This record gives sequence, C-alpha cells and structure tokens, in this order.
Amino acid sequence: MSFIPGQPVTAVVQRIEIRKLRQGEHLILGFSIGGGIDQDPGQNPFSEDKADKGIYVTRVTPGGPAEVAGLMMGDKVMQVNGWDMTMVTHDQARKRLTKKNEEVVRLLVTRKSLEQAVRHSMM
Amino acid sequence: MRSCSHSPLGIEHGIIKVDFLPPPLKTTDMEGKEEISDTDSGIILHSGPDSPTTVLKDVITHTRAVKLKHQSLEDRLQLCLLELRKLCIREAELTGRLSADYPLLPGEKPPQIRKRIGAAFKLDEQSIGLGTKVSELNSVEAELSLQLQIFEAARKLCNEEHLSKSVKRSRLQQCQREEKKVKQLQESAFQLRLQHGRSSPRPGCVNAPRVPDQGTSDNCSLSDSAVLDEVEVISQSSQPSIETPPPEGPANTPQPLPGPSLTPGPSPHQSPLTTPTLEELQSSFKVSLELEPPPIEHSPWTESSLDQPYQKIKRKSRSSSCKSSSPAVTPVLPPVEACYGGTHLPVQVSPHLRLCHTQSNSAPSTPEMQIRRHLSLRLPKTEPSLSLDTDRGRPCVPRRRLVDSMVTSSGDLPVQREAFGNHIYHSSSETEDSSSEHSAPSYTSSPGREVPCESPRQCQPAYRPQHSIDKPHNNHGQLAYPSGPGFYLQPPQQHPSFHRGYYDDGVGYLPEDMARLYHGLQPPCHSSRYDYWCEEAPVHTQRSVRLLPTHVRVSRAPSLREYSHHTSRGLPRQVVNEELKSWHQRNQFRPRSLDRQGAVRVRNIPGSESPLPQHHSYHEQAQRQVFQRAANMPPVQWFTEDDSEMASQV
Repeated sequence: MSFIPGQPVTAVVQRIEIRKLRQGEHLILGFSIGGGIDQDPGQNPFSEDKADKGIYVTRVTPGGPAEVAGLMMGDKVMQVNGWDMTMVTHDQARKRLTKKNEEVVRLLVTRKSLEQAVRHSMM
Repeated sequence: MRSCSHSPLGIEHGIIKVDFLPPPLKTTDMEGKEEISDTDSGIILHSGPDSPTTVLKDVITHTRAVKLKHQSLEDRLQLCLLELRKLCIREAELTGRLSADYPLLPGEKPPQIRKRIGAAFKLDEQSIGLGTKVSELNSVEAELSLQLQIFEAARKLCNEEHLSKSVKRSRLQQCQREEKKVKQLQESAFQLRLQHGRSSPRPGCVNAPRVPDQGTSDNCSLSDSAVLDEVEVISQSSQPSIETPPPEGPANTPQPLPGPSLTPGPSPHQSPLTTPTLEELQSSFKVSLELEPPPIEHSPWTESSLDQPYQKIKRKSRSSSCKSSSPAVTPVLPPVEACYGGTHLPVQVSPHLRLCHTQSNSAPSTPEMQIRRHLSLRLPKTEPSLSLDTDRGRPCVPRRRLVDSMVTSSGDLPVQREAFGNHIYHSSSETEDSSSEHSAPSYTSSPGREVPCESPRQCQPAYRPQHSIDKPHNNHGQLAYPSGPGFYLQPPQQHPSFHRGYYDDGVGYLPEDMARLYHGLQPPCHSSRYDYWCEEAPVHTQRSVRLLPTHVRVSRAPSLREYSHHTSRGLPRQVVNEELKSWHQRNQFRPRSLDRQGAVRVRNIPGSESPLPQHHSYHEQAQRQVFQRAANMPPVQWFTEDDSEMASQV
C-alpha cells in the first residue's frame, strides 16, 4: 500500500475492537507494534513499501484480546480510537494504545488480503 | 489387406522413412487405426458388404497403384537426401561441425570436415601500426594485441572436444604459456603508459579523483545528522507554531557522534543558549540541501509489546513533545495537574477527589464562589501531606476540613439563593453547547452500558442497584463510572445517606473518571468539559442542601448537614449500603417515583404551590426535550439537562 505524502490515502480497512484484558494493574492488549515515523522503515519486515513509516502489528499473542478481536500479524494500524496512526512516532502510538483509562480500543487496520478481497470482489 | 497396407512401409529406408513420409500415407494410416479402434477388427470392416471376388480384384489394382506411387516417392526421397547432404556439408564448413541431421547410409562414414576451432585470426592493422611512427609503446601494444589473439586461439584449441589425452595436455600447456606471455605484455604496456604520462585515457589506471569525494561525503554526513536532529525535533513537537528551528540541534552537531538516540533534545524553551550556532545550522542545512536528499537515519526498527503499561522510556524531549503534540490530552487535565505540580501525590485521583470535596460542600454557584473554588483547588499545594489513602474510606482529617468549609459556605446560603438560578442556567447552556454531542460516544465505551434505556428517567432506578453493588467491589471504580455520573448528580437530593457512601467508597474518583473518559475518547474540542463537571456537581449538592428539609421523602433521612457530621464520626459503610438497597427496592416498586420527585423538587424551589400541575407540565416538557434530542443520549447528559431545565423554569 503505497501513498504519496500529502495526498489522501486510500485503503481498505477493517474495524477491530479490542477489549483490553485486565490483569491486576495492567491492561493487556495482546499484541506488539513496530514502526513509526521515528523508526527506520527499511527494516520493517511487514511493509510492502519500504518507505512506509506506519505502525505495524508485529506480534499477536495467541488467545489474547487482540487475536480474539481479529487482529493479525502484519496488519497496518491506520487509526486508534479515531486518532491517526500513519504519521506518529512509535511512542505516540504506544501511548495511544495503552491508555489506562480505556478498556476498549478501536482500530482501523489494513492488510494486503483485505485489499485483495475487495479487488477480487470488484472484478 | 493388412499386408497390403504395410507394403509401402516395408522399404529398406527404415530410418528416414518417418521424416519423409508423404501426407496421404499418414492419413490413411490414421484412418485405418481409427476404424480398427472403432470396430475391433479392420478386416470385418473392409470385407463387409462386398463379395470375395470383387475384393480380390480391388486388391490387385490397389497394389499396382500403390507400387507406382511408392516408386515415385522413393525417387523424390533420394533427391531430398542429396540436397540435405549438400546443406549439411556446407553448414559444417561454416561452423566446423557436422550436423547430426546428415543422412548417413548404413555403413557409410561421415565425411571429413575441416574443423573450425577459431584458432585462426587476422592481424589487427591498427595495432600493428604499419606506417605510423614506431615507438616502444606502440610496438609493445601491437605485440600485446597479437599475443591476445594467440592466447585466445590457444584457449579455443584447449577447449576442443574429442581429443586424446596427450594432445589435450600439450594444448593446455601451450595455452598457459600464451596466457603468461599476455600478462607479461600487459604489464610492460602498463609500465610504458605510466612512463609516457598519466594523461592516458585508458580506463582502469587511476581512480584518484574519487578520493576527495569521499572526504566531502564525510562532511555532509555530519551536516545531515544535524539536519536530522532538527527534523526530529520538529516532528516530535509537531507544533506548526514553531517557526524558528530549535537551535539546540547545532549545539550537538559538532560532537563526533550526534546520533539522535544519544542527544537529549532539549525543549524549545531553552533556545536562547546558542545564537551563533543557529547560523551554523542553517549553513549546514543549506549544504545538505544542495547535495542529495539527506539520508534520514532512524532509530532501529523495534517493536514494543502493548501488554505493559505505557512508560516514557525515551528521552525527555520526546515525551514532552508527545504531550504537546496531542492536542486533546493537554487541555483536559492540566489545570489540576498544574496546580498540583509541586506535590506529586501518589495517586492521580486525589486532586479530583479533593476538588469534589471542596466544591460539593462549599457549593457555591455565584461567580465569586467559583473563584474561591479555584483557590481551594490550590489548597493542597500548601498541604501536600493529605494523601488519598487517608481520604478514602476513613474520614479523618480531611473530613474535618470538609465539614468546616461546609459550615462556612452554609452561611452564604441566603445570598446564593438568588444567584442560584442564574448559575444553573449558565451551566446548562454550557452543557448543551460543549458536551451534549460528545458525551454520547464516550458513554458507549463504558462497560456498564448493557442496561438498555429508552427513557433515561425510567432507567435511573435500574442503575442504582448496579452502582451500589458495584461500588464495594471496585476500588478503582473503573467499572462504576457509567452509572456514576447520573448517580452522582442525583442521589443527594433524595437520599443524603447515600452521599456518605459515595465518598466513603472512594467515588471521589468519579469526576476524575469522567474527565479521563472525555480526555481519552473525545479528542477534539472538549476543553470546557472538565470545567463543566467540576461546576455542575456542587450545584446539585448545594441545591440538595437547601431542598432536602422541605422534601417529603427525605424528611425521614438525615439532612446533608447532619449527614456530614455523621461522616465525620464515621458512619459504618454497611449501614449506608443497606439503606441504599432498601431505598432501591422501594424505587423499583415505583418506577416513576423519580419523576414525581423531580416534580416535587420543582415545586419546592419556588416555595409553596400545589405539586400536581407543575409536575405534569414539567414532566411533559422534559420528555419532549429528551425526545427531541438525540435518542442515545446517556443518562448523565439527560439528568443534567433535566436539572438545568428545571432551574431555568424557576
């Protein structure tokens, strides 16, 4: 999914609602992220476009809240609770996702298979 | 019949026959096969309807015709074979290899063909340099070119196939010899060129001009990193208002390794440090702009698990920039946090808790009182020793203070009575403007939302048990907040004893939760929300203080003033809860009791009028209001709406 900076991004997205799991003090999301505008996008193993500095799901804990919600490894996170995640630093994304007072996070994610499915259905 | 059909094929040219088989024969063969496969025997098919004699005649004529045809085909085949031979030999002369297609009669030997190995070569006129001036270099170069060709020939000879071992070995040796000669010549030619001067255009001699390039690239990498620093700072703070590039970047650049991960980028406020280096930065910036686009170095691509709570591990600049870059986070909480900046109470809840205490008891609604409230906000700064732990569940010192403040504020009551309506009206307008739309989505995220409610008024009783039951279990109160807000505003009016449970169980977090709720879920434009919550709460409690004594229902419960004294003495929590439960049970049996109470309240504010007409009119009006507004409006909103509406009626 490539895009031109400054131009609107078109992507097929899936809504994913993750209910955080409370474990004592912690709220567990059950996945890991990588990327951000402050990280080297060339090392991102999930992105197609190696200049893409987006936030990617690098790991999904089996059986965790994220997996239950349908999140998959390699997903690119576009929004978190309505906040843009395509132009944020890694820490900003982390902060946005791990807010203690939010028991639910709603993600918009895009992945290759989604686009393919849509393209296939349109043909 | 079969022998007949076989006869043309039984010729001695068995090998070539297939290639030159004329089309007609092929097709007949095919047809025959097809017929056989159809009927399982060709004989039956062909001898079917005819008599034996006619068949015999046909066979004789047929064989004759076939023989003639066979003869002519054979002649043609011979001609073609001759032609093929010629072509193959011609091809072999050109390529040096006899083609495998060459038609060989059995026992015939393939013709001898002169092999073409490529060992022959022409002398290069130019390199030999006939007629040109004979220099040492020229002669060496001519020799070199000749030797190159010789070497190439030897190599090809070496590669020739089908050679005896001895021949192959000798050729290999010759090839190596020639190669050695070539190298010697190349070396001597190279030396000669060097002597003749370095102006030789021949490639591969010098790459000196590239060296300075690398030197400059070192420089520009330095400047790039400077630019990188700047870019990072800007992106971190992501404030468009930063026009002048933060000059701390250049301060770092002169150091040998200004990696972005090492430099603690100072905040933009410390800018006046370095004015001269700003120019430096700009110059370096220009330099890098003139060169290629700066290769932005990123911190290595890492992943971070989201199962741990967020911690600011990174350098300070980043974390501070994070704060500033998120527009919605800052406006909400900072006022309180700023006031408490020095104290750093262990639990974030405490400021809000204190806020509620002071407000709900001093309960002012006039503008001056608002100011006083803000002052009271800052109070803890001078008394940082008051921690939340003592506040929660144990009415100790803070309770005392609370009571005191209440007493003082109660003295103002007559005055406030007049200003009361005005303030309510003000807050209601605020409600409608700022938070009516936003409160809805924020509420949807609350876990306690399962309770379906069409008319919030009727649902209110349903919320109560949930709340009162939940509360003891949730110390943190995260789960309790959905029903909290509505509850928070309502209970004191009916049941002061609830008030106690409310604070005792640490419901003081409620406003905090609300604030957090907004702060988290409603990114844009809710700066006034927090104020709203803070201001709204005291209003209701304050009114309840005034109204309770006149209320029919409440008369059997202690007044708020009494109640607060109770709290200071430490009324057991269980009593409160039980009372709450019983109260709730009563309410459940009378689902509309709330409406009535609201009506009563309305009636009571003006003074002494008959309750009924007011009740109906108010109720209808309120309901109309409710239905005109968004259907999914949460009870919180609804109740504030209710109250404000009521107040404006007054």
